[in-house]
Amino acid sequence: MSVNYTFNKHLIDQQAEAEEAMLKELEAGNYTIDNPLVKYNLYLISPLTAVVCFKTEEAAAVTVTVKGKAPQGTITHTFPKATTHILPVAGLYSNYNNSVEIRLYRGASKSIEIMVPDVFEGKEVIYSMDTTPEYLQDDVILLSPAGEDLSIAFDYAGDARWHMNVPCVFDVKRLKNGNLIMGSSRIIQMPYYMSGLYEISPCGKIYKEYRVPGGYHHDEWEMEDGNLLCLTEDLRSETVEDMLVLLDRNTGEILKTWDYKVAFQKAFGDINEDSSKWFNTKGIGQSGSWSAHDWFHNNAVWYDKNTNSLTFSGRHMDAMTNLDYETGDLNWIISDPTGWPEELQEKMKKYFFTPVGNNFGWQYEQHACLITPNGDVMCFDNHHYGAKKADTEHQLLAKDNYSRGVRYKIDTDKMTIEQVWEYGKDKGAAFFSPYICNVEYYNEGHYMVHSGGIAYDADGVPSEQLGAFAGQGGGTLESITVEICDNKKQLELHVPGNYYRAEKLKLYSDGINLEMGKGQLLGAMGVTKEFETDIPMDSCGEMMPESCNARIEDEDDRFTFFSRFEKGQMVMLLLEQGEEKHRYFISTTAVSFLAMCCGTFLDSDERNTRTSINKAGMKGTYDVRVIIDDKKYETGVKITC
Amino acid sequence: MIKEVNSEEFKGLCGTGLVLADFFSTTCGPCKMLGFVLKDVEKEFGDLTILKIDFDLNKELTAEYGVTGYPTLVLLKDGTEVGRLQGLQQKPVIVRMIQDNQ
Repeated sequence: MSVNYTFNKHLIDQQAEAEEAMLKELEAGNYTIDNPLVKYNLYLISPLTAVVCFKTEEAAAVTVTVKGKAPQGTITHTFPKATTHILPVAGLYSNYNNSVEIRLYRGASKSIEIMVPDVFEGKEVIYSMDTTPEYLQDDVILLSPAGEDLSIAFDYAGDARWHMNVPCVFDVKRLKNGNLIMGSSRIIQMPYYMSGLYEISPCGKIYKEYRVPGGYHHDEWEMEDGNLLCLTEDLRSETVEDMLVLLDRNTGEILKTWDYKVAFQKAFGDINEDSSKWFNTKGIGQSGSWSAHDWFHNNAVWYDKNTNSLTFSGRHMDAMTNLDYETGDLNWIISDPTGWPEELQEKMKKYFFTPVGNNFGWQYEQHACLITPNGDVMCFDNHHYGAKKADTEHQLLAKDNYSRGVRYKIDTDKMTIEQVWEYGKDKGAAFFSPYICNVEYYNEGHYMVHSGGIAYDADGVPSEQLGAFAGQGGGTLESITVEICDNKKQLELHVPGNYYRAEKLKLYSDGINLEMGKGQLLGAMGVTKEFETDIPMDSCGEMMPESCNARIEDEDDRFTFFSRFEKGQMVMLLLEQGEEKHRYFISTTAVSFLAMCCGTFLDSDERNTRTSINKAGMKGTYDVRVIIDDKKYETGVKITC
Repeated sequence: MIKEVNSEEFKGLCGTGLVLADFFSTTCGPCKMLGFVLKDVEKEFGDLTILKIDFDLNKELTAEYGVTGYPTLVLLKDGTEVGRLQGLQQKPVIVRMIQDNQ
């Protein structure tokens, strides 16, 4: 049986087709405010939105109002003067006949109904929202995915008002132009390395995909000039999650690269040594989840204009590190110094802080570092293990642990650090998230603390496993998001499932909200790492066994091979064109990831594999063949690059 | 030379010169792949001894060397460990480890 083949158009192409069809329909019809053209989920990926179109003879501003189930739930936005009105409608309710009012400025109005199906298919998406409409107003709390539950945003009443049905994982931020920036939905390597970033409108239109050769993970940042910082890595190297790139906003081109291995090596080692070798040997500052492959595990970046520096959160060193933006040199490290080698103690004095004051505690395996306007440093202190890897005596079990938001005041002249605020410690294991999560600074004394990785095992005990794995083992997952103002809790959102981060934002922005025209695919995919060693073998002429249930999903710039193999089989995917061969090893061994910040792409059946191959670096048409142990099989599929 | 050995044979061969020990399992895909890589590595070095140890049949030896998973490569120089690699590795990585310890 040949392998099933499908070609998947990029979402940008699918959305362009849908938009062009809508514009043709608008031009062909006589759509007025009394008879508008209504397109529910026009852009396919945002099922709590719609687009309403009509024309007016005179240019007029238009106000769109999605009526709330209660008056306080109403979401409204006024669009600028125009004669052709193409208006995004955001904030629709799921499983509800929504009432939407369109009103011309000092003119006519029309009420339309938009019936939205149950986009969550009966699944419980919230336990409780405890806040007031006066506090949250028309903001929503947007939760971004860390597992099978995809992006969702809740209003003051706990009603879902925004959702995406594709896995755009990790961080979501609002850009200065009002668009949203988030991880793309295209995974290029397990466990969660994505092709790049999507810049989208609130109604799901992708304006740009910024492709990054080493992929995107965890976090991004918009610079003052609009260029984008993107966390990445070199997927052809021996380490991951240890690089940052600056992307040109218009072209996607990489303008600057920071490699943290180099920064650490310059600070602590011999710069003439090969950095990857140096690091694998030293393994300095190890957290409980450290591995040589994922030695730093960078889960956040923050640019501080005041000091022209970059602060990174490195989970697997229990460290927040600050680098000079221009030189990439290390400025300081906030971390428990326990377990660092004796020979580095003298060099460490320049970079490490000494605690002062009472009630101080280091952070462990933290996330989402940020710098406040006065230079303080905040983060979500996951407090996973509560001690360094080497300090086994003081490591804590999940049931005895806690997580917290924490704020430190640092003095970079005296190299002292003082803990000036914390929230969550007294909640104990009920607020403990060993991974993911964030804090937000709104103003002095006004913060968000999002504990999005709470997990219990099947017996209801706080799980020693990360959420993605605890869930697979029959456990339950939760997220708790809290907002505090002047030490008073103003909001508490409690939902099932784990969510990477929470962001408070308005669905509509002061920007354009929706622009017509086809989105752009910028930047470039990298060349996928190949396996150098050849397995000399002729094709057996047979198709892959039916038990593999293999399929190939092809795209313009890459393809993905899905197949099931038994544990222990030796498997290699081959692309062959005459004498030209490209080899990709497929592991059939269950891998125990120490960090699974995003379990969205985990398969419940460990035998199922997913292998994505970028077409970069290849040209022509290739036969796809697969070696399974001692046989080389045909797939019947040709890939054109 | 690539040779599969038991614990006793291993101890007899590991004390002199450079010896690369490959702790493998017959039930492990990456281990099988590593076998092909090691054949290529052997060609690079004339005097390198590569000893393959079945993880499941030599528990005492694996414990003695602190091997907790497979495949694991342990490089010995005159009987003393000088390098270690865990998981499937590509040829250049293994070659570099050996060259660094020649």
